[in-house]
Amino acid sequence: MIALRRLLETEWGGLALIFGLGGGAAGLLSASFFTEFNIYVMLRSGCVGILVAFAQMIVLAVGQMNLAVGALGGLVAVLFGAMLEVLDLPLPVAIALALLIGVAGGLFNGVLTAGTGIGSFIVTLASGSMFTGINVGISQSKPFHGIPAEFVAFGDARWSFMPALLWPSLIVAPLLAIFLYRLTPGRRLLAVGGNAHAAELSGISPGAMVILAHAISGGLAGLAAVLAVAQLGAAQPEIGATWLLISFAGPIIGGASLNGGRISILGAMFAVLVIALIENLLVIVMVDPYWVQFTLGALLLTTVGLNQWRATHAARA
Amino acid sequence: MRIVANAGQAARRRLEAAPQFGLLVIIVALCGLFTLKQPDYVSFFNLFAMGRSLSVDVVIGFSQMVVLAIGNMNLSVGSIGVCSVMLAGYLMQTWHLPVSIAFLLALALGGTLGGLNGFSIVKSGVSSFVVTLASANIFSGAMLVLTRARPINGLPASVSAIGLYRVFGFVSPALLAATTLGALLSVFFRYSVSGKEMLAAGANPTAAAMSGIPVNRSIVLSHILSGVLAGVAGLMVVVRVGAAIPSVGGQDWLLPSFLGPVLGGVALSGGFVSVTGTLLGAMLVTIIRSGLLVLDIGNFWLQLFLGLFLLAAVLARRYGGIFRRCL
Amino acid sequence: MKVCIDSVSKMFQNVRALDVVSVEFAAGEIHSLVGENGAGKSTLVRIITGVHRPDSGVVKLDGNPVRFGSPRDALAAGIGAVHQERNLIPHFSVGENILLERLPTGNGFVDYKAIDARASEMLDILDPGIDVRSDVSSMSVAHMQLIEIAKALSLNARALLFDEPTDSITKHGAAALVKVLRRLSSAGVAIVFVSHKLDEVLVFSDRVSVLRGGRVVASNEPIAEMSRPRLVSLMIGREERIAQIGHGCGVIGDVALELTSVATSYGHRGIDLTLRKTEVLGLYGLVGAGRTEHARAIVGVGKIISGEVVVRGRRVTVHNPYEALARHRIGYVSEDRKDEGLILSHGVRSNIAMTVWRAIASMFKLLNRTTEATVANSYVRKLAIRISSLDQMVSTLSGGNQQKVSIAKWLAAATDTLILDEPTVGIDIKTKVELHELIDELARQDQTDLLQLERGCLA
Repeated sequence: MIALRRLLETEWGGLALIFGLGGGAAGLLSASFFTEFNIYVMLRSGCVGILVAFAQMIVLAVGQMNLAVGALGGLVAVLFGAMLEVLDLPLPVAIALALLIGVAGGLFNGVLTAGTGIGSFIVTLASGSMFTGINVGISQSKPFHGIPAEFVAFGDARWSFMPALLWPSLIVAPLLAIFLYRLTPGRRLLAVGGNAHAAELSGISPGAMVILAHAISGGLAGLAAVLAVAQLGAAQPEIGATWLLISFAGPIIGGASLNGGRISILGAMFAVLVIALIENLLVIVMVDPYWVQFTLGALLLTTVGLNQWRATHAARA
Repeated sequence: MRIVANAGQAARRRLEAAPQFGLLVIIVALCGLFTLKQPDYVSFFNLFAMGRSLSVDVVIGFSQMVVLAIGNMNLSVGSIGVCSVMLAGYLMQTWHLPVSIAFLLALALGGTLGGLNGFSIVKSGVSSFVVTLASANIFSGAMLVLTRARPINGLPASVSAIGLYRVFGFVSPALLAATTLGALLSVFFRYSVSGKEMLAAGANPTAAAMSGIPVNRSIVLSHILSGVLAGVAGLMVVVRVGAAIPSVGGQDWLLPSFLGPVLGGVALSGGFVSVTGTLLGAMLVTIIRSGLLVLDIGNFWLQLFLGLFLLAAVLARRYGGIFRRCL
Repeated sequence: MKVCIDSVSKMFQNVRALDVVSVEFAAGEIHSLVGENGAGKSTLVRIITGVHRPDSGVVKLDGNPVRFGSPRDALAAGIGAVHQERNLIPHFSVGENILLERLPTGNGFVDYKAIDARASEMLDILDPGIDVRSDVSSMSVAHMQLIEIAKALSLNARALLFDEPTDSITKHGAAALVKVLRRLSSAGVAIVFVSHKLDEVLVFSDRVSVLRGGRVVASNEPIAEMSRPRLVSLMIGREERIAQIGHGCGVIGDVALELTSVATSYGHRGIDLTLRKTEVLGLYGLVGAGRTEHARAIVGVGKIISGEVVVRGRRVTVHNPYEALARHRIGYVSEDRKDEGLILSHGVRSNIAMTVWRAIASMFKLLNRTTEATVANSYVRKLAIRISSLDQMVSTLSGGNQQKVSIAKWLAAATDTLILDEPTVGIDIKTKVELHELIDELARQDQTDLLQLERGCLA
């Protein structure tokens, strides 16, 4: 019981519990839920989303937002595809370059925001449009199909119910944790998000931390894009078009504060998994797929509403 | 001290007028450039077509502008727009309501959805960004479920007929509506109590509240207005296309809704609006869009140019002030 | 380390915060800096710590001129500070906040055990009861100030500045602080102590300097030659005209506002207060006594938990300032005019007429701008506010004129009762006198009841 209470006190505990209980309930509702293949499908659908959520989360940590996560992802996907199909680059080189392009996009956002003092909302709104423009201009809205077979196979591979595609997230999550909780730059990043002025008075450079956060965000968006290509089997220019909601819903439902300085890596991860679970359930139970969007929005609203209500009540107590 | 005060005030007037003037210069310059390349750019037909597309962008910009006034943002402009569109279509086709009634009810829906946004924001204390991000998906999702994403084509002929009407040869009813709305909004923010209270609450909610201004009421009102304007924009598209299509609006309207106001000098932090600025900003966007076709650059690169222009405009505003002060 | 301020000036918008200020803080001394609100003390501290850059003049450390581009430069030069406002990272632990400037690491990783140990070391001197592992957001105001002090002490600085460090802490904490400061000063650290608590200052400082209206009026005076009356007179100045205030000329009328056994959500208990018509009631108290919160509770910012509030004979509950104004005709002039009293980015016209827009609107709730201008102009004239036009942005006005606009707003509202919270804070002497006379006239001629809040040490 004590263990349960302590679990619930963490930001991610509730979500992990919902994921577990939800899965159990789903199994009861439908016989086809607990098959190995279905769990694999469900987990696989969340793999890209987890990285997208992380990409937004790191920027939220520093107290900003990145509206260009999807657009940058789409651009990286298209360039990745072009590198493989048109330039015939070897796969590892293409992946490395794709990640670098992501980081470069993030640096663009970070330097503009930190250097000019223009809010991240406008900067990433504009840059997102620019990234989409370059994406569509290069791809002419047509996907690149020349993806090496082994990469597509990686996208499909699984060990029992564990999709291979989940591994990058499982590696990135602890790395992010170490960065944010055990390394000085990470602590500084969170400090700037918590109170930029106080951090500056302690000798930290808010501008540098903002640039760092956006660079990491871009890199994660790039990684998500590469995985999306593996998942889809083609470099489609529409990759990233639906990332906006999940990029915010994941971290926020997972306990992140929009003001900055407070995030939960496990919370974001479990939030995305819960969303994947709900989507999977809706499909199995053959509910109208159009309910997915509605449910996501309602879930986000309810969660933040509850968090706010809890916070106000705690303050009054 | 008097000298400093005068300079400060003169500078402020210049700062306020600058975005509008700068925009006007750029617009005229671009028009000139495009006409050189293609003489019938300024033909009545082309102006008429551009005017119709411009009207929608202008009203979408107004929809965002009224919540920017109070320091909020509305990410569900597109969703509310498409909900109004589909309701209008449904009422006309299935219930055979006359066009005017259907349109009125569609606008009422827009206002109601906006009101829901405002009410949620005020009651929950959650930021408008998150609330409208969520509601955008709630509204769009509900619409998709109800309409099953099927367009409604059986609209009375009078709907499209409105769209083909021409005044002075090149002015469409949509453009008239947009400019009328602009005039009304100008009056609202300059002369009405609610409008001025909205601007005060947007500039400094604490001071406004302590001065007895009902800030929460202003927030809800601004979101209701935003919803109605989103509905108007949606209906303009219905008139132009002659059908109610569920792919209208949505995330496509997100960037344009901010482009007009931001290019026009409206502050994201609240407290200041510019109707002419938003209008000119939207005009610039329309001209860039049509101009790309003229220059054979192709529509694919449109988003790139829009983003660049937005950045350039914001940077110019930021550093233009410093530049001017050095002179 | 000796810190020397040489002819430093700083202007913000149109306000001269520091006017050719020169003062020396020697090593090994506790040097107090006193002055009224708005005298420029905090601005000076911010310049020394690199938050602001001086417009002219120079800061010298041990004789060498320095230019700080950011707080980091000041920290690197060995200057530490506890600022007036709290600067803590929420959701970080107490220990991490204390050692934020230089987090101890082991093998490249942040060493949390070392943080706990070292932070405890620093904090135990001041208050052994605080757990350095707890979230700093859960700390009380008093504890937060102690944590900030510990933060400054952990810097191994050669010059330490404290801006009102004892405002929120207990006597015990203050005593512990003084002990530490004495120890540090004997080790050669220059200590600058900004405070309005004159008794404290007289007890443990070595020297004192006095700022008034951005200028130094007493510099490096040994504390032995100072007395409380002399400090007070230096702080408020002697040359000002004594305000021409009538002495009880008006007929004091019936009770306008009465509070009985009121307790508020801020922590007040058992407050009784009686305000009569045309009376000016002064409410005095030291910082932290709760005057402002008490006044705000009356107008509905903050809750009244128990007790009675009677307005003109009727028992009422005020929920918010909108109700206070519309229903009960009570106005509140905030002490924080920049954030609460004025809309800095709007013009004089809007700021003054804000409270009466609803009243002067014609049908359809539309305002006649001429009427608005007439209303605003009448108060501009009455209060002698120096503006270039009605649309001049309020942020470009001087502090005194800004305060006049803030008060004009409430005059325009023609309230029956007006609460003025520190109405003359941060304003030049001449305007201060004008305002005092105006307030007096308000009560006598305009039949308004006034509740005026002032800081303690100046009667």
